[in-house]
Amino acid sequence: MRIVVAEDLYLLRDGMVRLLEAYGHQVVATATTGPETLDVLLTQRPDVAVVDVRMPPTQSDEGLRAALDARRRLPGLPILILSQHVEQLYARELLADGTGGIGYFLKESVFDADQFVDALERVAGGGTAMDPAVIAKLLSSGSSNRRLERLTEREHDVLGLMAEGLSNQAVGQRLFLSESAISKHTTSIFGKLGITDDGNNNRRVLAVLTYLNNA
Amino acid sequence: MRQLVSWLASAAVGFVRACVVLVVSMLVPAVWAAAAGLWMWWWGGDPWPGLAPLLWACVGTLALARPICRMVRAVVARWTGTVIPPGYRQAAPVVRMSTGYWWNGFSYERTSRDARRDQRMRLWWSDPATWRDLRFAVIAPFAMGVIAAVPPAGVVAAVVGFGHPAPSMRLIGALGVAVAVGAAPYAWRPVRPVAVRFLRPSPAMALADRVDELTAQRADTTVAQAAEIRRIERDLHDGAQARMVALGMSLATVEKLMETDPDRAKALLRDARAGATASLAELRDLVRGISPPVLTERGLVDAVRALALDSPLEAAVSADLRLRLDPPIESALYFGVAELLTNAAKHARATRAGISIARTSTGTGAGIVVDVADDGTGGAGVRAGGGLDGLRRRLAVFDGTLEITSPTGGPTRVRMVVPCESL
Repeated sequence: MRIVVAEDLYLLRDGMVRLLEAYGHQVVATATTGPETLDVLLTQRPDVAVVDVRMPPTQSDEGLRAALDARRRLPGLPILILSQHVEQLYARELLADGTGGIGYFLKESVFDADQFVDALERVAGGGTAMDPAVIAKLLSSGSSNRRLERLTEREHDVLGLMAEGLSNQAVGQRLFLSESAISKHTTSIFGKLGITDDGNNNRRVLAVLTYLNNA
Repeated sequence: MRQLVSWLASAAVGFVRACVVLVVSMLVPAVWAAAAGLWMWWWGGDPWPGLAPLLWACVGTLALARPICRMVRAVVARWTGTVIPPGYRQAAPVVRMSTGYWWNGFSYERTSRDARRDQRMRLWWSDPATWRDLRFAVIAPFAMGVIAAVPPAGVVAAVVGFGHPAPSMRLIGALGVAVAVGAAPYAWRPVRPVAVRFLRPSPAMALADRVDELTAQRADTTVAQAAEIRRIERDLHDGAQARMVALGMSLATVEKLMETDPDRAKALLRDARAGATASLAELRDLVRGISPPVLTERGLVDAVRALALDSPLEAAVSADLRLRLDPPIESALYFGVAELLTNAAKHARATRAGISIARTSTGTGAGIVVDVADDGTGGAGVRAGGGLDGLRRRLAVFDGTLEITSPTGGPTRVRMVVPCESL
């Protein structure tokens, strides 16, 4: 894959480039400031970009703004946002356009490199990948609580993993259940929440996230 | 008819009030008149022994000044609702030292009673309010006593006039009644403007109060800051630093085991990774407690939105979008909202909350007002050393105020107002 890395701290940028190259991907450009990020994203049109939230010149949410800007101009441009902290607020903003191709992770998710690159590939393919911490917050926030109280505990777990962006098969592996058992759970969840499932994994995950977002 | 009754009623009330004003304002002249009478009558105008009643009159005036002012303030507050701050200097606490003596802020005394008496005298003597009171006691008879004397004088004229059979005297009596009734509703009224003009604290007294207030606040802030820094140091020392040391040791061991026992080395590496993740989570919590990243990145309104999203309550935020605030004020308000939401969920068992952030105008200029309302069980209040007390102090640093309406049974509504010139 052709990847753009936007990160202002040299150590982390360098580490990320080396990690991605070790997995056989090509880093076509790097950026260290917000405006530069936007520029690189628009000119390079990478298969996927890894973008830090906080960057110069203001050291506020430059990276996030650049990512949102780029996606406004190139809808669906796959971007994975990395940050030292995760906020539901940002997750909602990233998911608001409903086009997918979005990932949002804590920086330490890179510690599990296999899973990280997996998520990156999912995002490049137009899917979504959300940090478990984001999903946990989405599921436990005030309004979600009441809407999700009809789910069983197991269904709650399945919904959480699904919202992270995992396929039925991957959810099954995590929970040590068969894929068919997971399908049964998802059918039940969608029935209870009133979400239509058309079988397409990416669209399904988006539907779940939209549901949680509007909660 | 009804109009007449209400007018008569106001005349009656006014008459009583005029009498009260007359009595209060004439206390000092009465003392002096008594002294002069004694001098004339007792000593027959002899100058030297006559000094004694003069001295008594001086002492009497000094002693009466403060009670007179207290009474005037009380009646003004009662009749017109205008509260005039007294502005007397507050006594410092009298404390017992390890030597057994009592310290009152000025001197050491053998007993606490002596210390208090000494403190009272010194405060009384050094308080600028004492001289203001004295001035008022001298001004009052002229500024309000004379006018307040009109209705009672009219009554006296009536009594005297009707007591005589002569028609001219009866005419005077009738005139007296007319003056008394006509002046009664108005004669007491100068008391308000006169009291406001001469009894309010002078700029010097206001400044002295402000200095006391600021000194107390500075002490509070310093203590709070030191405690906060100690907490951060302890958290770092016992948390992240210790984990980093453990991580280094694990890596050193892995280096050693790599060739001899690769399986154990792998297990150790997994542990090391878990340790690094845990210490990052710890650091993240610590950072959030010092200065929430979302506040740095987005400012108060979005940070409060993020807070509302993470809250177990269904919290709605309405905000004036274009707010530019000083970072310390943003931080204080953010932590205030965080505390209030936590209280609402934990203590008041609320399910919903509403937060509104808007511009306002305070007494001195622009300001920001943050309202937090919940549907919980109420009963919240400021208790010394409690969370709300801490919040009140944090806001007081910026001359901000905390207003809590929380009847038992709910709902609770808390309003934080902070003056802010940058708005």
